[in-house]
Amino acid sequence: MADDELIVGIDLGTTFSLVAYADESGPHIVRDERGDGRVPSVIAVTPGTPPQVTIGWQAREHAVEHADTTVYSVKRLIGKGLEDIRADLPYLSYAVHAGPRDTVQVEVAGSRYTPEELSAWILRELRARAEKHLGRPVRKAVITVPAYFDDAQRQATRDAGQAAGLEVVRIINEPTAAALAYGIGLRAKPRRGPSEAFALPMARCTSASGSTDGQEVQTIAVYDLGGGTFDISILRLEQGVFQVLSTAGDTHLGGDDFDRAMIHLILEEIRARFGVSISASATKQALRSLAEETKIRLSDRETAEFELDLGRGRLYRRVIPRAEFEKLVSPLVERTIGLCEYALKDAGLRPEDIQQAILVGGSSRIPLVRRRVAEFFGRAPYTALNPDEVVALGAAIQGSILAGRRSDMLLLDVTPLSLGIETMGGAMGKLILRNTTIPCRATEMFTTFVDGQTAIQFNVLQGERELARDCRLLGQFELRDIPPMPAGMPKVEVEFLIDANGILNVSARELRSGRQASIQIVPNHGLTRAEVERITRESLVHARADIEAHRRIDLLNQVEFDTQKARQMLDRYGHLLDPAERQRIERDIEELKRFAAETTDLDELYRRLTAFGHGTVRLAELGIREALRAETASENRTSNRQEVP
Amino acid sequence: MQSPLLCDHCHRLYPADGLNYFDLLGLPPKYDIDLTALRQRYLHVSRGIHPDYRPGEDSALSLRLSALLNEAYRVLSDPVLRAEYLLELHGGKSAAQDKSVPPQVLSFSLELREQAQDAKLSGDSAARERCAARARVEYDRALSEIAALARQLPGDGRIQTRLRTTLNAMKYYQKLLADL
Repeated sequence: MADDELIVGIDLGTTFSLVAYADESGPHIVRDERGDGRVPSVIAVTPGTPPQVTIGWQAREHAVEHADTTVYSVKRLIGKGLEDIRADLPYLSYAVHAGPRDTVQVEVAGSRYTPEELSAWILRELRARAEKHLGRPVRKAVITVPAYFDDAQRQATRDAGQAAGLEVVRIINEPTAAALAYGIGLRAKPRRGPSEAFALPMARCTSASGSTDGQEVQTIAVYDLGGGTFDISILRLEQGVFQVLSTAGDTHLGGDDFDRAMIHLILEEIRARFGVSISASATKQALRSLAEETKIRLSDRETAEFELDLGRGRLYRRVIPRAEFEKLVSPLVERTIGLCEYALKDAGLRPEDIQQAILVGGSSRIPLVRRRVAEFFGRAPYTALNPDEVVALGAAIQGSILAGRRSDMLLLDVTPLSLGIETMGGAMGKLILRNTTIPCRATEMFTTFVDGQTAIQFNVLQGERELARDCRLLGQFELRDIPPMPAGMPKVEVEFLIDANGILNVSARELRSGRQASIQIVPNHGLTRAEVERITRESLVHARADIEAHRRIDLLNQVEFDTQKARQMLDRYGHLLDPAERQRIERDIEELKRFAAETTDLDELYRRLTAFGHGTVRLAELGIREALRAETASENRTSNRQEVP
Repeated sequence: MQSPLLCDHCHRLYPADGLNYFDLLGLPPKYDIDLTALRQRYLHVSRGIHPDYRPGEDSALSLRLSALLNEAYRVLSDPVLRAEYLLELHGGKSAAQDKSVPPQVLSFSLELREQAQDAKLSGDSAARERCAARARVEYDRALSEIAALARQLPGDGRIQTRLRTTLNAMKYYQKLLADL
């Protein structure tokens, strides 16, 4: 096997990262000498030229003592702007600044780094470990991301991989990777080996539409609660194809938030009892470790006890029973259950349709989480594989598929958020709906509004809300080099293609000239990205008001367009109408514009707009006839027809 | 199982120029299709053309064909989208060309929205349920009408117009059900 055929799988996590590879006997985690595959996603920087960088357990131990030179939870920052992470700032012991285009930069040991650079350090460490273990260079990787990561977060993750000297062959979703790792036992030839031990028990689908004779079909839910993110994916497994039916999630909900709930409680009690507020980053870091340890202990024990020396004889001692911890974090767990309902609804399924619920991610060890998932799906969750390792194993399997080494399985994933463009007046015009199977594409026609216009700008959005301002602005696009023509004549077809990585590719073509229009993209990391989940949650609440607002914008746009068009036609071809009709149309234009500006009665506005259309039919016909004649006449001319009377 | 996109023997990919969604999945262009066969063909062809199995020079074509195939499956597996697609295939008007909706659909939709809103404000969940049930009845009725009309395609202009109008009405019912 040639070197370039090796594609490792990397789980780049909020708290821990892992690397795995697959060989003939299946996927394997690369482990350290203690047998641990987890590399803490912690970076310690020792000042100097060049600065010394340490990754992993050593950096993690370094954290309490050198809080100001240690960075953790970088995944919460990647592909985001400062506004998005404002809620995180009080809990971070390192400084975060706004970067260019409202990206963020982390300040550590006197220098500023982007989240991509910091993530690249972790990836480089994983790569080095894999190379050492395998005794050969590693150049290609599949990297996993939360299913609910948006376009910018995916791109940033891919950039981090490139910065680490890796060709990122594919970005795949964590829950899907987990399903692949669990599902490998399904297709594997019967053999003695570890893969049999965790093969999913097969269910026979009895519904008529679901399968044919002997075809096994099963529907599974993957509940993935990690250190910083939550995903739920519903999949259908059939003929070796892992098809994601729906996915939902929150890229800002994970074990970190459980810790913070406890930190918040402790800070409040310390303030009440001793009258002190904690702001030193070393103490914050100590508290973070304390809360995390307590949380983990409470997974096996009924109570956990700890103490914190605040100096000057002030000792804060606390016993936390599991029940109290559960009460504290219950709202967070319920949020995940709500998202499970949302994903099921999108898949058109009910909890009883799910044949297996798989738990993934370190935070899925919390007993309350297991209990609630079991209650919701009405069955004990399936946990045969180590929840910390299963995502990396799945990524390694996908790596071997992409390397052409196995073709018994195929992933068909979905795009988690709807994609669209901002229409005039600020509405979100959806082109691709959430949970559409990727790769997928949509096209949209654009034209000009002014004679001789050679560029068109539009905004690309991701989100579920009706108004553009409530969605995530992915970028501002500008179509250039459009051949100068009268307004409305150019036909520019823009293609939006979401590839198998879930990343958007945009291209454009002017159909009349057949020319590839050049497209300029200004990526926008400026608006609040954390709003994506809020937007999704709120879209249900706001739906009704949104629809009214959307309709209003559409109608006003139409009024604006129709009256402007009529005015243009009148200027050009009005002399061909009799004076009475010309004057009536003049009045109709003014009257409709006045009414549109004043009214709130959208139904009446619609009626008047329709009537206006009827009243200008003759003029429009005249215009089309004249335009066609002019177009034929100018076929052989090179100048544009702006001057045609 | 055959698809014009893929040679089963040499695994070569072919562009989809001039092919409709039914062609891609090797099915006759009819409203009544075997959904199990549709799904199996979709999975089979996916396995043949997906970018995961097509590194290198094929990758751009494979990406486009996969996107097209996914869209074809999405449309054909949905009874409403399938009827709409078939209508346009037979030269019928698209929703953009003919937006007409029977007037009673608009008034029904408005009335039901108001009732549902009142029920919501007064906390009468039974009344909300009744609203949803009424919307479902209309939805089901429209769905069977769509099926009955789509089976008669290409049909005459009258059938195409009726199908168009019923499809337009269906969008109201779908929205209504989603909102209630």
